[in-house]
Order: sequence, then structure tokens, then C-alpha cells
Amino acid sequence: MIGSIPLGDVLLASGALFTIGLAGALLRRSAISIFLSTEVMMNAANLALIGYGSAMGSREGQIIVFFIIAIAAAEASVGLAIFVALFRHKETIDVNKINLLKW
Amino acid sequence: MERLVFDAAAALTILFAGLMVMHPHPVKSVLALVVSFFGLAVCYVMLSAPFIAAIQVIVYAGAILVLFLFVLMLLNVGEETRGRERPIQRWLSAAALLVFAGLLLGLLRAHGASAPLSFGPLSGDVAPLARLLFSRYLLPFEALSVLLLAALVGAFVLAQREKGA
Amino acid sequence: MSAVDWLILALRVLIPLGVILTVVPMLGWAERRGAGLIQDRPGPNRVGPYGLLQLPVDAVKFFFKEDVIPANSDKVLYVLAPGIAVFAALTTFAVIPYGASLPAAGRDIPLIGADLSIGVLYVFALTSLSVYGIVLAGWASNNKFSLMGGLRSSAQIISYELAMTTAAAGVILSSSSLRLPDIIWAQERLWLGFLPRWNVVPQFLGFVVFFVSAFAETNRVPFDLPEADAELVGGYHTEYSAMKFAMFMMAEYVNIVVACALTVTLYFGGWSLPGFHPEGIVGAIVSILIFSAKTLFFVLVFIWVRWTLPRFRYDQLMRIGWKALLPLALVNLLWVAALILVRWI
Repeated sequence: MIGSIPLGDVLLASGALFTIGLAGALLRRSAISIFLSTEVMMNAANLALIGYGSAMGSREGQIIVFFIIAIAAAEASVGLAIFVALFRHKETIDVNKINLLKW
Repeated sequence: MERLVFDAAAALTILFAGLMVMHPHPVKSVLALVVSFFGLAVCYVMLSAPFIAAIQVIVYAGAILVLFLFVLMLLNVGEETRGRERPIQRWLSAAALLVFAGLLLGLLRAHGASAPLSFGPLSGDVAPLARLLFSRYLLPFEALSVLLLAALVGAFVLAQREKGA
Repeated sequence: MSAVDWLILALRVLIPLGVILTVVPMLGWAERRGAGLIQDRPGPNRVGPYGLLQLPVDAVKFFFKEDVIPANSDKVLYVLAPGIAVFAALTTFAVIPYGASLPAAGRDIPLIGADLSIGVLYVFALTSLSVYGIVLAGWASNNKFSLMGGLRSSAQIISYELAMTTAAAGVILSSSSLRLPDIIWAQERLWLGFLPRWNVVPQFLGFVVFFVSAFAETNRVPFDLPEADAELVGGYHTEYSAMKFAMFMMAEYVNIVVACALTVTLYFGGWSLPGFHPEGIVGAIVSILIFSAKTLFFVLVFIWVRWTLPRFRYDQLMRIGWKALLPLALVNLLWVAALILVRWI
């Protein structure tokens, strides 16, 4: 593997991916789609980290991404458990309808 | 040549992430995301991180998204319906997104591409990664296992049916 | 890379692919004759001598059968699912070394599709992807039984993947490398002058866990409840007919071959025999034959077990995977670590 990818390319891709994830999180109404968009944002950050690690010749970027992926796995499982419990009660996943705390 | 492959993989990733965001049916959008993550794994390989690419496929595409699919299929979640929501919400979101995208592009143009490749290329070996993980990052590694255990127990408890006790 | 390099790369990937695709029908024949042998009946013996033409004839039949796509199914995913299953099964073989170095055309050709630095992890990544073929088949068929079968099957695969990976971690630990050629190299020497250093000897528990998990990964008896006829009609491939069904069957057999090849590489020294140092072209060919013989032995064990043991109920199956095999694999890992500490490995 040759580290000949210009950093600008990587950052542009990461930024575009993050923006798309943000768009999904802002514009979608189903709880699971919002969650998926959050995952996309996390992966955009991963890409940027690995890009910088590769540009600086250090493996720390990969280590941090390793931790992020593991944490994302933990978070996804707890998030989906919450989602399942919520769905059982409310029979809907539209976040506009889950408004019990609204005054 | 590597740059071409990276650009193609990144384009694939972004395209399918966009498809994921736009598709109303949650199962199809998860599948689009799987392809997107696969493209991301190819990007990682191009950036001299084959181990992380494998972990991405095994954990993210192969476990987390399968978990999403399971939940979606078991709960029979249908398509997202058009709802009565105030259009101001959508306009504000779109405006916020445009501002954010503009900020990001501006930052990139000002600073991004000027970071020099100051060191040589990384090899694809896993051993230096392991050495780093088990020496400098040992404490976060152990903390991570505790975190995973907590998540395991938490998910199990949360997803249980209430038994009235 | 010159044209010769490209040609050599193509050959070293395509030849094992061709071999596997030709072996799969013969495996089908061996399965059915073996079933007959174990069940004290003839097996296929009408078509050709000893029924050898049965599988080609079956293939022709599959081509001519009516290809039904259910009305309310998701057409794209329905057609894509068997493709994903076969793709994941076939690409796994790319990292398995099937012979020693072949000196030809002025260079040493490594007999492996792609010598990745993350060899074993690549195999597990593709196993994770094969889950999608099954889950999509179950869901896209728009059939309750298919969905249940697909979900059960993929839950089974994911659970046993853990035990399999932890057992393989023992091998990785003792070989200090993820590359499969390195793992074979670490098993080439001898203990006490005559015992081969095959990983099965110090890590017998790991081997048992790995082999049993391989049965569950390939949906074979005794772990084939998700596709058992009497339970769930056909499980995830209920609604599939003709060529698409044949692709699922092909994916299953290719998975069996790959699982056996992986077992042989990780635990039985791959293409190497103790005291045998392959020299030149003849040595390379002999090493290919050794590898094939070992793999064939384990494939026959797969067939033997299928027609001997009854199948597990689904909850028994999940309990074995999580409560028995995973702890045993962890014990094996600790054992290997202890052996390394006292420098016996």
C-alpha cells in the first residue's frame, strides 16, 4: 500500500459523507433512520482520522478508529434495544409522535 | 492509480450514503449503507489501513448492520410515511445544512490540502498496530472491554419484555 | 507488472476457482452415494456408471426448470441474494494457500490467490457478508417461513462465527501472524523428531470448537434446522426454484470445501507434511496433492456426519454455540497463552 492519496481528497470525501449524515439526521422522521445517519457521521470521522494517520506516517489514527468502531458497536446495540422497547410501547417510530415530555 | 481507486471508492461510499438518506424504506436504506461501508473499507485499504478495513467489514457491515436488519425485520417496520409537519422545519434544516457545507468547504480550501506528507508510507503489517495497542493504549483497551460488557448487559435488560415484576 | 505477471496472477486465481467449481458437482455425487452407503441403499445408480452422471444431469434439469419469482417479492433483492451467497463463498478461497511455491517462468509463484497481510481476518469478513445472502433471501421472498428461516439461519451463523473466530485466535496467537502462509510455515517443523507441529496437537480443544462451528457456519447437520424440510418447509430458500436454488446449493457446497480447506490450513499444516521439503515443480505439485487429500478427508467427514447424527433443535443449537463452544474457545485461548508463556510452543 503506497500512501500516495492526497489528504485533500480524503478530507473532501469525509466532509461530504458527514454532511450527508447530517442531512439524514435532520430531515428523516423515523428513529432508526436518524440512528443510521449518526452512524454515517461517525464513519466520516473515522475516514478523516485514518487519512490524517496515513498522511503523518503514524498508526495512532488506526488505533483511535479501532476504538471508535468498538464503541459504535456497543452504542448501536444499546440504541437498538431502546428502539425495540420504545416500539413495543408506542407502535410507531415517527419521532414527531414520541412526544410524551412535551409541555 | 491508487488515487483513482480511492476516488472511485469514496464516490461509491458517498453515493450510497446519499441513497441511504433518501430511500423511504428502512431495510433498503440499511442495504445501501452496507454497500457504502464496503466502499469505505476499500478507502481504508488505500490509506494503508487493511486491518481497520477488515474490522470495518466484520464489525460495522457484518454485525452492526445485521443487527439493524434483524430489528427492522422482526418489528416489521414499514416505509416512512409523509407526515403533517411544519414545512418551516424542513426549510430550516436545509438552510442549516447549506451553511454547514459552506463552512466545511471553506475550511478545506483554507487549510486542508496543505498538510504535507512528512513521513514515508505505512506498511500494511498488523504487528506494529498490536504493539501500539497493547503498550500505549492498554488502559483504553481494557476500559473498552468493560464498556462492551456494560453495553451487553444493558441491551439485554432493555430489550426484555416487562413481566410485571 | 508485465504481461506475464498478469497472466500468472490470473491463472493462480482462476485455476483453483475452476477446480472448486468442478469439484462441487462431484461432492454432490459423493454425498448421495455416501448417504446410500450409510443408509444401506444403493444411492443414484441409474445415470451413468455408479450414477456418476447424476449431477451433470441434475444441472441440466436446473437450467430447464421454470424460474418462478413470487409476485409480491422484492425482485431485485430476490435475484441478488443467491448471487451474494455464492460470491461470498467463492471469494473466501482467495487467501488459502493450496501449495508450496512453484518455480516457473523464471520466478517463484506463490500458490495462493492473494497473500494478504490480514489473511485470516479476510476470511471472517467474508463469512460476515454471507449472512446477507441468507437474510435477504428470507426477507425478499415475502413468505413468513422464509423470513423466520432466514433470520434463524443468520442468527446461527453470527453466533457460531464468534466461537470460530476465538478458536482461530488461538492459532493466530501461536503463529504470531494473521497471514495464512505464515501459519503453515509455523507448523512445518517437528517435535521430538517425529511428531508434526500441527496445531491440532496442542490446540485440540480449539480444533474441535472450530470444526463444530464450521458445521454450524455452513448450515450442515446437525445444525441445519433453519433449512430442515420438516420444520420450516425449506427455510430461506423455500421460494427459490431452478437455477437460483441451484446457486444456493452450490454456495453451500463451496462453503463446505472452503471450511475444510481452512481447517486443514489452520490445524493440520495445510500443504506441508513433516519432513517433506518441496523442491521445484514436482514438489509444488505434490504439495497441491497433499492439500487436496487432506481437504477431501474432512469433506468426507462432513458428509459422514450429515447422515449419521440427528439435528439439534434451534434453542439447543443456540445454547451450544453461546454457552458451550464460546467458553471452550476462550479456555483454548488461555491454554495457548499459557503454553507460549512456558515456551512449549
